[in-house]
Amino acid sequence: MEAVRRWWDRYAGQLLIALVALILAIAFRYSNGSLWLEVYQFLSRPWQSPASQQLLLEEAKVRELRYRIQELEMQNSQLRQMLSLPFTLSTQSTWAQIIGRSADAWWQQVIISKGSRDGITAGAIATGAGGLVGRISDTSPHSSRVLLISDPSSSVGVVVSRSRALGILRGQAQGVGVLEFLDRDPDAKVGDIIATSSFSSLYPEGLPVGRIRSINLNHQPAPEAVVEFSAPIPALEFVKVYARPQ
Amino acid sequence: MPVPNSKSINLLPKSVRKLLNWLQFWRGLGMLFLALCVCMLLMPLRLTGLAIGDIAPNWLLIWLVSFSLNRPVVVATIMGMAIGLVHDALTIPQELTASVPSHVWGMVLISGLTALLQKQRYLREDFISVALIVFGMTVIAETAIAIQWSFLSFTGKYDLGQIWTQQQRIALVSALVSGLWAPVLHFPLTRLRIPQLDNRP
Repeated sequence: MEAVRRWWDRYAGQLLIALVALILAIAFRYSNGSLWLEVYQFLSRPWQSPASQQLLLEEAKVRELRYRIQELEMQNSQLRQMLSLPFTLSTQSTWAQIIGRSADAWWQQVIISKGSRDGITAGAIATGAGGLVGRISDTSPHSSRVLLISDPSSSVGVVVSRSRALGILRGQAQGVGVLEFLDRDPDAKVGDIIATSSFSSLYPEGLPVGRIRSINLNHQPAPEAVVEFSAPIPALEFVKVYARPQ
Repeated sequence: MPVPNSKSINLLPKSVRKLLNWLQFWRGLGMLFLALCVCMLLMPLRLTGLAIGDIAPNWLLIWLVSFSLNRPVVVATIMGMAIGLVHDALTIPQELTASVPSHVWGMVLISGLTALLQKQRYLREDFISVALIVFGMTVIAETAIAIQWSFLSFTGKYDLGQIWTQQQRIALVSALVSGLWAPVLHFPLTRLRIPQLDNRP
């Protein structure tokens, strides 16, 4: 008993501080770190600059347009047989600067300098020079976090532009993704362009995603292809955010 | 504010001594909190020279190890839980909260281990041992995350082989950079340690 009392006399202060810290941490966890996002956004302001026109001249943009044209041509011929599209990219969009990366190596995220005050909501689509980049996962008033398509927890319903072979693209944390085909014997070859499919519930149809780098048709349980993303994600400085698809 | 040495403190009236103690206590607590805030803001940064291959030092973990050294296990583990929750808040997307690994388990484990380590006097508190402790603890924390991902791989969404290849890369690189940068945070913090918060007799 005496030992317990002595321990208490000595450490009561520390214990109290640790408990207060725990309560604060729980509150912080519930807010999903939005205060932290705000402070980080505020402090990084001196290093932020508004999106410039020069961005549009980047080489990656040209590549995106080339991919998009090919995708649109394929889509056009398909459209005749279709009644309507599930949803398309919203016309409301805003450029935002990337101000930070993920706070943990297990996650592939970026922090951007626009938030709910700029009309961004969770689920909005982020694209960059080159094509699809990711979706907004959390927002605070002036900042938000983007879950990149290269994250292992993100899966995108995609289609091979040329042959319309369907698959699911999962991130591999290293700038490439793995495309798992739904079909046993898909018509796909190295160099084929990959875009989001009309079956994707999270992304609008027809956004360029990447290009097949290698393919393994004998992979079990489903044929696989390694896809390199068309957007140079580690080098990006700006993303364009489209409102959440309806 | 310069801290008067113990002899001159004893000459002061009791009320002034109490006030000084009180000031010192809050200064120490304030510095701990400030350091934690700085650590949180450093997490998303990838400065050249600070990060290796897109992996930056785990500043929250360094702070936690530095806090846990020389503290009772109970206090250290409660703080570990708090830091785990903070790290979760910084990384986990809201819609995935229930279905992805939490940092809490790893953080509780390493804070408890660090507190025990010092109690057993296996290691002295110097430049090399702090770096070594942080190195080891980072490996443990990242492995705890990888184990949780492995359980999730049974759902079929994640690939077990890929998780462990990634674990090797992340654990090693993260431990290396965190260990290297640990003294930078640890030594200023120990300098500012205050008697009431400390476990010195």
